[in-house]
Amino acid sequence: MAARPRVVAALAAQLRDLDAAEEAFAEAAASALALAEAPRDLAAWLFVAGKRRALDTLRKARGEARKVDALAEVTDMADILTLPEPIPDERLRLLFICCHPALGAEVRAALALKVICGLPVGRIAQLFLVSEPAMLQRITRAKAKVREAGIAFELPPRRDWPERLGAVLLALELAFTAAYADAGGELSAALPEDMDADLGGEVERLALLVAELLPEEPEALGLAALVLLARSRAGARLDRAGAMVPLSQQDCAQWDYARIDRARGLMDAAVQAGQSGPYQVMAAIQLAHARRAFDRRVEWPSVLRLYDVLLALRPSPMVALSRALAVAQVEGAAEGLALIDALPAERLALARPYHVARADLLARVGRGQEAAAALDAALALDPPRAERLWLEQRRTALA
Amino acid sequence: MQFMLMINEDESPYAGEGGAALLEATLAGHMKLAEDLVAAGVPFSGERLKPASTATTVRSDNGVVTLHDGPFAETHEELGGFYIIDVASLDEALEWAKRIPVPKGGVEVRPVWQMGAEG
Repeated sequence: MAARPRVVAALAAQLRDLDAAEEAFAEAAASALALAEAPRDLAAWLFVAGKRRALDTLRKARGEARKVDALAEVTDMADILTLPEPIPDERLRLLFICCHPALGAEVRAALALKVICGLPVGRIAQLFLVSEPAMLQRITRAKAKVREAGIAFELPPRRDWPERLGAVLLALELAFTAAYADAGGELSAALPEDMDADLGGEVERLALLVAELLPEEPEALGLAALVLLARSRAGARLDRAGAMVPLSQQDCAQWDYARIDRARGLMDAAVQAGQSGPYQVMAAIQLAHARRAFDRRVEWPSVLRLYDVLLALRPSPMVALSRALAVAQVEGAAEGLALIDALPAERLALARPYHVARADLLARVGRGQEAAAALDAALALDPPRAERLWLEQRRTALA
Repeated sequence: MQFMLMINEDESPYAGEGGAALLEATLAGHMKLAEDLVAAGVPFSGERLKPASTATTVRSDNGVVTLHDGPFAETHEELGGFYIIDVASLDEALEWAKRIPVPKGGVEVRPVWQMGAEG
């Protein structure tokens, strides 16, 4: 739910224990669901209820024989509503704790996704391409280290922020990838304490918060811009039947221009701050697509140049794949297809975008049967509902 | 919280050319660090150890005790000394650990088990 990061962060700062904070939140959320009437300020309610649960659990664990005091015994939570206890905003502190350099680089982003965003471990495992038990073990070990090794529950001194920023941005990027892949909201529906689950919105809030707190870090601004640009298309991403609409076919009238403007402002500020980086380049690519609303076409040669830069900054088969699609626009489908066929097919066999891109270019060069086979390969990889509907439409159009 | 800062360093630079000067500079660094710890009001203790060649390890395997001539594990870096400091958090302990003069090697930082504490 949207309140989760703020509430869990405030609980963690109080309890100084990530597990206890998560448990307290889950219990509080369960009691909230049982209420006849939703609390006016859900976040405040969850924080107070969670804190009491945790203190209660702690006392029981200590075997304290004395009667649980009156405060903890409040079962009618209605009076909590009258407590003007503001929730302190500890989200950034928690983000930096999860991204502490004393934790392994491979687990920091995963821990942030689990604790702050409440992403299920299975989903995090998918994002990091490891098995669920392996990811669970990593996260459990990291939480134990935070608890046992004496990692400070404090915001690190300012001079240490850049050191931790890379992991913070990666955590946000991966969380956002998860939300973005989830056009139809299936992931949100699968979230455990679901009330108004909106992972994308939460990542956007966190990304904007980091950008606001670190305005001199161009990559923090770049990531926030990237998230805003992708979110600006939320209203255009699904058709009436719930099928995904690819970017090139979206109705620009449905884009959110306030977000696009804000992203552009952040990117200007990033340029002022100097030092380019992958997030700024990715945001620039998305902005080039957004310009279709004003220029009625995409400047593919500029997009291609941006992909050249991105490939140099962050080489990966997926970036090479996107670049090949830009080449197809500039030089022709056959040229793009030749680049895709030169990519390591075995490494990309499980990547739906690879099969979808091949299908697209194969169809354009008139190799319909192979295009259909590529779409079948993508459909066999269990796409989310919205993407499956879209792929099936294309498959039908080819047949 | 108490933390042990274990200085694992390569002993060979001290034996090589310019080793005496390096040792002198390192020891001066430790003196300075001790002064800084006192100035910062951090309770601490610490010792310098003799070289790993003087080490004897007592090994135990299901009640069978054997002696082994040498340090616990043969590596390029040996435990050369340690500090125990009392600070609020790992972050503070790491700050101090970064200030320990180590020509070549590293410092392992670990919380000391608090007797009687929970967990």
